[in-house]
Amino acid sequence: MSRRRRYEPNIKKNSTFTLNITSMTDMFTIMLVFLLQTYSTAEIQITPDSEIRLPASSSMLNPTESIKISLSKSSLKIDQTKLADVKDADFLPQDLESKDANFIKPLFQELDKIAKAESDKPHVKEGRILLQADKDLPYATLRKVMYTASMAGYPQLKLITLVGE
Amino acid sequence: MRRTKKIKVNHNSEFELDLAPLLAVMVKLVPVLLVSSAFVQMMVIESELPQVVNEAIQRQEQQPTVTNVAVEVVAKEGFHIVITEKGKDVVETVPLKDGAFDYATLHQKLVAVKKAHPDVFKIELSPDGAVPYNDVVKVMDEARQARDTNTKFPVYDTKQGKNVETNYMFPEIVFANMMEG
Repeated sequence: MSRRRRYEPNIKKNSTFTLNITSMTDMFTIMLVFLLQTYSTAEIQITPDSEIRLPASSSMLNPTESIKISLSKSSLKIDQTKLADVKDADFLPQDLESKDANFIKPLFQELDKIAKAESDKPHVKEGRILLQADKDLPYATLRKVMYTASMAGYPQLKLITLVGE
Repeated sequence: MRRTKKIKVNHNSEFELDLAPLLAVMVKLVPVLLVSSAFVQMMVIESELPQVVNEAIQRQEQQPTVTNVAVEVVAKEGFHIVITEKGKDVVETVPLKDGAFDYATLHQKLVAVKKAHPDVFKIELSPDGAVPYNDVVKVMDEARQARDTNTKFPVYDTKQGKNVETNYMFPEIVFANMMEG
């Protein structure tokens, strides 16, 4: 008598299963290449202000340690501290000196304070300023910032631009 | 006769590569690179501000430049290139083209100016108050470098003691009308 053998599925109770990670490694390799491309070698990091649309330029100079001033259509800031309001592409009359319409009082006071407090730092000593400004602002508004910075003893102005289009 | 045993070799067998350590390295590398990557690449244009008037005059006395190149940007007219040489002013005008600034002509004229005066690197920029910042940056771009890579200007290198060629035209920018009221 031939006995038919019953089919028994071969299941090991203590088996470990291997996860297929080939596709994940694939994805990570692509990400790694992309991130290596955007890797920044600049010595300082500039956080772009969301309100500012920077102009594009062909300049290839990396920014260096300086005092960061940002001028948008609504405000004037040092680092992230707001100093003065901007309305209709101009400063409010109370922020300007009555005799000299190019002189921004809060900016001068702040720059003067930094000059006195951090006079041992090389960027303050040399008077370096990094200016980010919105590309639609007229030169007259920018000139007020430049004029005040120059009066406060910061003659080296660096304009931040995006890498050319 | 005894038969020799044949060893079966399966040539089509697949083996699995252990990717786990590679993945472990990548998982660590990705956050490191994410932190240090700049998604918006930013550069700077260097410029100088005439500090206190006295100091500027002093500097001018120390280094009496024979030739001075100034670019005036007027929103309603266009560009005026003023070349001051031996006390005489030569003005060249680049008018607006279809209501917009004519950058191509400005560039050509600046290349011609640089060819005539290769020892001048400084340009004095005087934009009108109504000129948008974007246009000021564009003018600086036109003045900085010659677009045509074949156009070279001789520069005397003091270290090597000979003339070196460069395509930089006017990399030093001074905002000249800053102190005017």
